[in-house]
Amino acid sequence: MKPKEEKVKIITEEFIEDSEDADEGRQKKTVKVARQKGKKQLSSAGPKEMVSEKSHPDDQQEPVQEGSDTHLLGMTSRRGPRSLPPIPSASRTGFAEFSMRERMREKLQAARSKAESALLQEIPTPRPRSLRHPSEKELETEFGTEPGREVQRTQQEDDSQGFSRVKFHDSVRKIKSKPPVPPGFPSAEEAYNFFTFNFDPEPEESEEKPKAKSRHGTNQEEEEGEEEEPPVQEGVNKMDEEELLDGGDTEHLLLGLDHAAEDFVAVRPAEYESVHIRLQMEKELLFVPSTLTVPTYKKLPENVQPRYPEDEGLYIGARLEVPRTNQNIMENRLLMQEPGRRWFGDDGRILALPNPIKPFPSRPPMLTQEQDIKAELETLYKKAVKYIHRSQHLIGSGDPPGNFQLDIDILGLIFTHHPCFSREHVLAAKLAQLYDQYLARRQRHKAQFLTDKLQALRNAVQMGLNPAKTPKSLETTQKTINEYKSEIRQTRKLRDAEQEKDRTLLKTIIKVWKEMKSLREFQRFTNTPLKLVLRKEKVDQKADEEAYEAEIQAEISELLEEHMEEYEQKIEEYRSAQQQWKAWKKAQRAKKKKNKQAVEERPDEMKEPDPGEEPVKPVPPEPTDRAVIEQQVRERAAQSRRRPGEPMLVPELSLAGNVTPNDQCPRVEVLRREDVKRRSLYLKVTFNNKEVSRTDSRPLGADFRVHFGQIFNLKIFNWPESLTLQVYETVGHSGTTLLAEVFLPIPETTVVSGRAPTEEVEFSSNQHVTLDHEGVGSGVPFSFEADGSNQLILMTSGKVSNSVAWAIGENGIPLIPPLSQQNIGFRSALKRADAISSIGTSGLTDMKKLAKWAAESKLDPNDPSNAPLMQLISVATSGESYIPDFFRLEQLQQEFNFVSDEELNRSKRFRLLGLRSQGVPEFRNYKQIPMYDREIMEKVFQDYEKRLRDRNVIETKDHIDTHRAIVAKYLQQVRESVINRFLIAKHHFLLSDLVVEEEVPNISILGLSLFKLAEQKRPLRPRRKGRKKVTAQNLSDGDIKLLVNIIRAYDIPVRKPTTSKFQQPSRSSRTFSEKHAASPTTPSATHSADYALGQVLVRPFVEVSFQRTICHTTTAEGPNPSWNEELELPFRAPNGDYSTTSLQSVKDDVFINILDEVLYDVLEDDRERGSGIHTRIERHWLGCVKIPFSTIYFQARIDGTFKINIPPVLLGYSKERSVIIERGFDAVRSLSEGSYITLFITLEPQLVPGESVREKELVARYVSLIPFLPDTVSFAGICDLWSTSDQFLDLLAGDEEEHAVLLCNYFLSLGKKAWLVMGNAIPEGPTAYVLTREQSHYLIWNPCSGHCYGQFDTFCPLKSVGCLIGPDNIWFNIQQYDSPLRMNFDVTKPKLWKSFFSRRLPYPGLSSVQPEELIYQRTDKVAAAELQDRIEKILKEKIMDWRPRHLTRWNRYCTSTLRHFLPLLERNHGEDVEDNHRAELLKQLGDYRFSGFPLHMPYSEVKPLIEAVYSTGVHNTDAPNVEFALAVYIHPYPKNVLSVWIYVASLIRNR
Amino acid sequence: MAAAGPSVFLLMVNGQVESAQMGKLAQKQWQNWNLKPGLMSELCWTCPSRLFLKYYEYIFPEYDDLYCKYCFVYGQDWAPTAGLEEGISQITSKSQDARRALVWNFPIDVTFKSTNPYGWPQIVLSVYGPDMFGNDVVRGYGAVHVPFSPGRHKKTIPMFVPESVSKLQKFTSWFMGRRPEYTDPKVVAQGEGREVTRVRSQGFVTLLFNVVTKDMRKLGYDTGPPDTQGVSGPSTPQGLSR
Repeated sequence: MKPKEEKVKIITEEFIEDSEDADEGRQKKTVKVARQKGKKQLSSAGPKEMVSEKSHPDDQQEPVQEGSDTHLLGMTSRRGPRSLPPIPSASRTGFAEFSMRERMREKLQAARSKAESALLQEIPTPRPRSLRHPSEKELETEFGTEPGREVQRTQQEDDSQGFSRVKFHDSVRKIKSKPPVPPGFPSAEEAYNFFTFNFDPEPEESEEKPKAKSRHGTNQEEEEGEEEEPPVQEGVNKMDEEELLDGGDTEHLLLGLDHAAEDFVAVRPAEYESVHIRLQMEKELLFVPSTLTVPTYKKLPENVQPRYPEDEGLYIGARLEVPRTNQNIMENRLLMQEPGRRWFGDDGRILALPNPIKPFPSRPPMLTQEQDIKAELETLYKKAVKYIHRSQHLIGSGDPPGNFQLDIDILGLIFTHHPCFSREHVLAAKLAQLYDQYLARRQRHKAQFLTDKLQALRNAVQMGLNPAKTPKSLETTQKTINEYKSEIRQTRKLRDAEQEKDRTLLKTIIKVWKEMKSLREFQRFTNTPLKLVLRKEKVDQKADEEAYEAEIQAEISELLEEHMEEYEQKIEEYRSAQQQWKAWKKAQRAKKKKNKQAVEERPDEMKEPDPGEEPVKPVPPEPTDRAVIEQQVRERAAQSRRRPGEPMLVPELSLAGNVTPNDQCPRVEVLRREDVKRRSLYLKVTFNNKEVSRTDSRPLGADFRVHFGQIFNLKIFNWPESLTLQVYETVGHSGTTLLAEVFLPIPETTVVSGRAPTEEVEFSSNQHVTLDHEGVGSGVPFSFEADGSNQLILMTSGKVSNSVAWAIGENGIPLIPPLSQQNIGFRSALKRADAISSIGTSGLTDMKKLAKWAAESKLDPNDPSNAPLMQLISVATSGESYIPDFFRLEQLQQEFNFVSDEELNRSKRFRLLGLRSQGVPEFRNYKQIPMYDREIMEKVFQDYEKRLRDRNVIETKDHIDTHRAIVAKYLQQVRESVINRFLIAKHHFLLSDLVVEEEVPNISILGLSLFKLAEQKRPLRPRRKGRKKVTAQNLSDGDIKLLVNIIRAYDIPVRKPTTSKFQQPSRSSRTFSEKHAASPTTPSATHSADYALGQVLVRPFVEVSFQRTICHTTTAEGPNPSWNEELELPFRAPNGDYSTTSLQSVKDDVFINILDEVLYDVLEDDRERGSGIHTRIERHWLGCVKIPFSTIYFQARIDGTFKINIPPVLLGYSKERSVIIERGFDAVRSLSEGSYITLFITLEPQLVPGESVREKELVARYVSLIPFLPDTVSFAGICDLWSTSDQFLDLLAGDEEEHAVLLCNYFLSLGKKAWLVMGNAIPEGPTAYVLTREQSHYLIWNPCSGHCYGQFDTFCPLKSVGCLIGPDNIWFNIQQYDSPLRMNFDVTKPKLWKSFFSRRLPYPGLSSVQPEELIYQRTDKVAAAELQDRIEKILKEKIMDWRPRHLTRWNRYCTSTLRHFLPLLERNHGEDVEDNHRAELLKQLGDYRFSGFPLHMPYSEVKPLIEAVYSTGVHNTDAPNVEFALAVYIHPYPKNVLSVWIYVASLIRNR
Repeated sequence: MAAAGPSVFLLMVNGQVESAQMGKLAQKQWQNWNLKPGLMSELCWTCPSRLFLKYYEYIFPEYDDLYCKYCFVYGQDWAPTAGLEEGISQITSKSQDARRALVWNFPIDVTFKSTNPYGWPQIVLSVYGPDMFGNDVVRGYGAVHVPFSPGRHKKTIPMFVPESVSKLQKFTSWFMGRRPEYTDPKVVAQGEGREVTRVRSQGFVTLLFNVVTKDMRKLGYDTGPPDTQGVSGPSTPQGLSR
């Protein structure tokens, strides 16, 4: 339909609606229908319509509430909000609206009454009816059209388009409604709508605009009142109406045809519906915002007129240019999401900030985020962290070492001797040295100083002698005078010595100079510019003489005085000596007299007096003679002093002389000079024995001086220990030689650069140089004399002038390390040589000694040079600093200890943390160690401490036998240490542990995969696929199940009739040799007879117990039952810990017991037999198969036929074969002995066996077994340990390998051919067996059970063979099959067996790790007997414990019978005794019906024995009068190997 | 243990795995582009024409449609009390603008309790995506500690992937679409055994953490100023980065 027509139609319709009289009821009905249709139509319409539809209900609800007249009210109310007049009086909208409604109502009522009256007058014709339809339509669409008016304002036309479309369809439908409506109409309509809505091209905006405008105009007129409506308009409308009708008819025809066509395809396939539903569902989920313009009234609060701030004169910035569509989408979205209108401003537009875009273009900063990343990758400069030299770490010094700097200024170097020195140079050097000495002496002026001092002292004495001037007491004065005098004497001596030295020096200088001069004359050239000038200083002769004389006189007088004193003293001495002598003389004389008398009496006894005792007669001293003294004084003065009047000689050394040029020198001298020129020198500066810098290489000057003038700044962090300059000399281009090392003193802290004096440090070298020119060489003798006498040996030596000082920082602070005790002590002490000499070098570090020395030597405490020492001493003595008298290996450890060790041990938390990090088993998985000690229970440690305590205590409770207890303990320790090592090993990672990567495919894999491409997609023979493996981490209890599938059993023992009291048993003809010879046994006649009677021989069922959960199968019948049942047992990991390590350490076994169900009729009253059955079920244990869980865990599944472990004697049962069996399966059956059960065991879900992946190094099982003791003690992920046979026997524990090795060794020593077989067996998994060679065939031995099998035995548990190990070689199986059944064991065939040692790698003759011989001790029989008693007691107690609700009676008679019987069993290895035994038992216990059996086990500890007895279930009898018998027998073998027999039986007395 | 349980402190971490920059040819190439970058980006904003898209495909030939997994690694004394400690994000395609960012905005919200700061939680991220043959391969591993101090932290984690051992293996792994992966992504949170691997850097992932702690100070652990305010870290807050 053309838009123009449509427009016209709308106008007419609206007009008609108002003006037309209409039947009220009919109109109502049609409106309703139309509305319903409209709704449907809307809902089925495209998503574009949805918004408008959804926004309507609010408006539509209103009319329903308002009044009974739905049609009218609906119309008015719908108009209400929209019909806001565009007049400016917006503030009174509410009122305006009200009045408007009122007006409308009035108008409508008027129209209605008019229509009613018209109805009464006229007969209804089709025309009004046809006209009415458009009006209905209009009603329907009007609420949609209305927005169009508002839209005009916002320049958006989409909405009106939509509605015009709606109208169009409605008109179509309306026209269609003239013919009878087809039944499928609504769906067709919907379909039509759907399609048209989706595919109708949108009308052009330009065309739409005027139409909408005009429509708006009419509407407005209509609303505003009749008075505005011009009559002309009406006429026009009517004309339009007629046109419309024509147009409508044509349309109708067309559409009708279309419709008809659609009607045919109205039966749509279901697909359409599904799409529809999907769209519906999508509509529920997704919201696609409409692009239609949202009318302003929706965006504003109700009845609010939009206001425009811009019009009100407010400034609004330019809004951001947003496409209209986007704006509409946003508005629709906002309206949809939030009913509130807070996003819209007063003008009905979305609130927006003014456009932030700059008017001019600018470049944004590039990719800030990337820059950030870059910045993060950037290398940051950080200052180096100072490293403090270890040896210089001071204990207790906390101050951080700062930035210190030493400035080393190396000025130059002067050689005092050099190999290139000529003779003249030697002299020159000597002269220079002497002159230097002279200068130094003169500078010090010692002689003058001493002279002055002497003078002063003399004056003082003079003063002291004058008593008037001294206020002191006479005594003190005298004392001081004496002191002065002695000092005068000292000083005078010193002065004399000095003066003499001065004079000699002067003389020597002159002498050397003279020598030099003569040398120069002799050689006729000059080498050195040295020139000595002696300057004479005139002196005043007279004054000089006077002073000289006065001096002499003074000296003489002093000397005289001195001598006088001496003389007096001597006189005094003499006198006392004289007196002494006289006294002695007297005494002597008296003695003599006495002696004389005595001699007279006894002449022969007379003795000479002792001559030694006789004192020498003192000689009186001679008084000193003044003349003599004067003589002496004058002589000395003449010698050491300048004579009076003699001019003072002042030598002056200058370099003013001329050196003879080369061309005037002889050749040797020229050579020398050239040699000198070739030499150059440099210095290396080493600090703490590390080279830190070196000077430039400078040529050696002709005057043997090298000037460097370089300053080195050393930034130091370590304490300066040594500072050395190394002098290197380079001769020409040949290498450098180290001449000497110069040790520089570390400067005092007061020495800073700028103030440091230049010091000359001497050095000398011990090198020996002989030169072929004028050079005198070094270390070689030479002489100045022509005859070669008076030889000199000079060594290379020289002086380095340098200055070392501490640098001054930028801010004027000297960069000196802080004064620290050690440093100061060290350096100050070095300065004070006397300190070292007084207390020794070692004393320097001993503060006490140093302090003692300082106190004794009366150091001046105020002397600044002593300050550091005094400080040190005061610190040391006051005890402020503590210098430990111990040596600490890691002295920094203490600083890092955040608490002391005691506290660490005391704190429970720390202890717990420590133990956990050590990996102590009790705490390894401890979670959430509490924060506070008080929150840790004391009992946490109890177990651990108990274990620690018990480590060395051997517990005999479990292990009765002490030897075994010790072994168990030892094993425990071995296990611990292995675990610890393993924990360490676990921290070594391989790449494959961390990174998963596909292997590089090799050719074969590639080939295989190519081959796979050609493989059939669905092979005819399906193969079993591997189950998904579950890592055992996220598991909890109950997730894992053990599935045991019991399939069938063979050769179950059958019951023996108990009726016959005595029966001669047919002795079995089986012998050991026959076992392998596959001979069938002859059936006993009795049994055939029994069988013939049709009795049930046995009713076996299987009971599987695991972790004390028991499941059993149904009961089957006969000795070859077939159950084919699956039992499901839950698995619980220890402590709920499903980690792989924990799972590996599960020690539980799966017991598969075969029992016989025996029914007993216990009905006591025969009369009831007709009406009831009363039986009791008894279960008789027949045998068991034990499979450790770890095997299942590692093997993932266990599938096979197992030999049932049946006790050698089963009371009441026999293992006789039935005729049928023998006939049928003879070939198979006869291969082996015993009963068998076929099983399939697996875990669900399949677990990944943790560490076993790394098989090459870690085998996750460690089984310890005592010989003939298959006790599995498996624990987590540990390497397999193979012990030697002697260790094995000592330990009495080992796994299959040890057993096999021992067994193999025994066989070998017996002279048999035996090999160790490595392979897989069931149920052990990877294991070791022993292969022996008999005459014609091979035997395979299971070392743990001691059973042997023929090579072709079907039931041999060894399923595959990997390699054979012989005493001198190892063979690897390279045959096609690895099952022993199909193998050839001939190792000599290289095609079948690949040997390890071959021709290429011959057997090197390795020595065996096994001991030469095994030593066996006899086992203590008494101890064994004792053990036997104890075990029996324990077991009896246990059985009573297991029967808590019943009385357990022990039949003592039976027990003793059994006990006698057990040794017999041991002797016969459990064979061939059955029948005898049964007969005997029957004889003795005929009244009883009993079931029982002996168990044979190796002995390790009590627990397995108890378990074994428990698993048989003997105690589970609840017959009222049951009695028990239990006997234990232990047979001791050498080396403490014990064989245990337990006989358990239950007896019921026959009635 | 005491009935009341040991006293613990709580660490609440929320935030999100924001975005990734996973490009083999790094941004450097972008910056070396002959055209003026400013002009380039301007053009990109206004007219995302096919030409430029092509160009971008050339610059960043791979690493699209990535998703990431995160998990937390923490010590024995730690236990999650609330929230998810593992998560896997939606697949994101890279943006069409110049940044080519892969935005996940995948929320993280987990609360831990602990008695010991030892073993402080680390977040381990692993990013996966299809390679050019459509095989799902790993695109990066990375880990970072949850920030210690309360407040808002933005972390950019450099990512890396393990490298093949040999060139041949590299080729075959590329060809077979099975790149080397860590057996457990948690490997990247621990130092043990890393010396046996070699890795290659591989882009960055930006993480935002909001950290709240409770009772840490009470138990004697001081993790910074009492009232940390503002955003730490080098990046500017979201939305203003450009």
